[in-house]
Amino acid sequence: MGIDVGKFLKNPEYEIKITTYRDIFQVEAQECDRFGKDYEKLSACIVMSKNDMAKMGLKPGDRVKVTNNNGSIVVEVRESKRDEPGGVAFMVNSPWSNVLVSEESGGRGIPEFKNITAKISLVKEETTTLESLMEYFRKLQ
Amino acid sequence: MATCPGCALLCDDIEVIVENNRIKETKNACRRGAARIKGCINRLEPKIAQKPSDIESAVRKAAEILGNAKSPMLFGWSNSTCEAQVKGIQLAKKLGAIIDDTSSFCQGLLIEKLLQKKFRTCTLEEVRNKADVLVYWGSDAQDSEPRHLSRFSYFPRGESRQRGYEEDRIAIAIDVRESNTAKICKGHFYRIQPKGDREFILALIDALSGKVPAYEPKKILELASILKKAEYGVIFAGIGLTYSIKDDFDILVALADKIPNFHIMPMVGHYNMRGFNENLFKETGFVNRVKFDGKVVHDNRYSIVEALREKSIDALLVAGSDPLSSLPRSLVRHLASIRVICIDPCVTMTSKIATVTIPCAVSGVESGGTAVRMDGKIIELSKIIESDYPTDEELLSRLMGAL
Repeated sequence: MGIDVGKFLKNPEYEIKITTYRDIFQVEAQECDRFGKDYEKLSACIVMSKNDMAKMGLKPGDRVKVTNNNGSIVVEVRESKRDEPGGVAFMVNSPWSNVLVSEESGGRGIPEFKNITAKISLVKEETTTLESLMEYFRKLQ
Repeated sequence: MATCPGCALLCDDIEVIVENNRIKETKNACRRGAARIKGCINRLEPKIAQKPSDIESAVRKAAEILGNAKSPMLFGWSNSTCEAQVKGIQLAKKLGAIIDDTSSFCQGLLIEKLLQKKFRTCTLEEVRNKADVLVYWGSDAQDSEPRHLSRFSYFPRGESRQRGYEEDRIAIAIDVRESNTAKICKGHFYRIQPKGDREFILALIDALSGKVPAYEPKKILELASILKKAEYGVIFAGIGLTYSIKDDFDILVALADKIPNFHIMPMVGHYNMRGFNENLFKETGFVNRVKFDGKVVHDNRYSIVEALREKSIDALLVAGSDPLSSLPRSLVRHLASIRVICIDPCVTMTSKIATVTIPCAVSGVESGGTAVRMDGKIIELSKIIESDYPTDEELLSRLMGAL
């Protein structure tokens, strides 16, 4: 039996720009239960253009690690229903996207919520849960 | 009819069916509003140091924390009634505390310019009755203020717009993504690159001045032509625009000067963010980021973001907001090392790490009061059902009494 070399190889990483947006269904889920599964499912995802997904070898439903100097999260890939030109991915404004936002605001008091740069790569890990985001804070206390 | 506290449109045409003091059904509300009126499933409980307590003890503990703090901050307020906001400002004065709200990292700067009368604005009724050109700029109203287009801007008939969207109105979207609002603006969606708003405005000013714009000339000239012909135009400025142009609001004012029939309206999400801005402005001349230090001091250091980044506060009262959820994680780490008091109807991420939690009634559902709509109109909130929870205004009064 040969050795499955593939499993030792790291999946390629791609640089990506992310901007945040609002989604009425996610806002509704937050109003009902911000610790519920619906809110988590609608928040822990990244919407990408078909072109970008093809370039990066991603399929809808794949899980990706999105990482930058501010933190790292695992989210599910969704294909944009729009005819997006690519180059920019979209995440709903949530505690997940906020892991990737820098605290630096140039002294202005407004972080760059809509201008995130990160690296993205395919992973097999489960998506980041709200409980794990809470655990991060509990450990600091 | 009830008023919806779901967003700053404060829709006052909501039918609520109540059975046995429980909300069974809402009619006319959007998804966001219906969910707010029906309420969260996790009601907050009074706790001290994560242990169950009662409201009176929690209020006393909160007063002790704030009274002993060297540099307390009072934050939140955009989901509080005007009456609670005024009490909050009084409490900040009494404590010599910093007070800030969510507009600090949202639309505060634009609302401050509006209250300083730096540009023309209008009411939502004027939009409905007169507006023929509607520009949604960095704003996806369909997802953030979902009844904006149907109640006020694009779809309704108005006094001078009897043919509504079919003939009398043009809706335009300028955005980084083709939002649900942009989908409605058929043929009038202008996609820009992230942070490309400034370049777009400059090109548009050139086109309106009779010059050939350097950036996408054909599209910009076409847009300039529509704007010039407008009888009554409105730019609905979303946070996509305000985040992008940062402090450079003069550029937006310069654009408005080129199109004298246009008005600018900041799009506000939380139901009473503008109320807080107006209440603090009346008291201090500023809309947020204020410290009562014998006198009124306004500084960016007193924004929630900079105060947390510089670790300059040692106690934080959060009223109707969830900074742990809505601010960068790298920033809110500091919350873990200070004492946090949380007043909210529901369990939030912030309440889960708070030293003291105090539950309150849901304003606009379990208690009445007033709020300020996104265009500045004062709206009465309804009390739809009875509740044993104290209002946020009452809790703040008790807190001041306990100091």
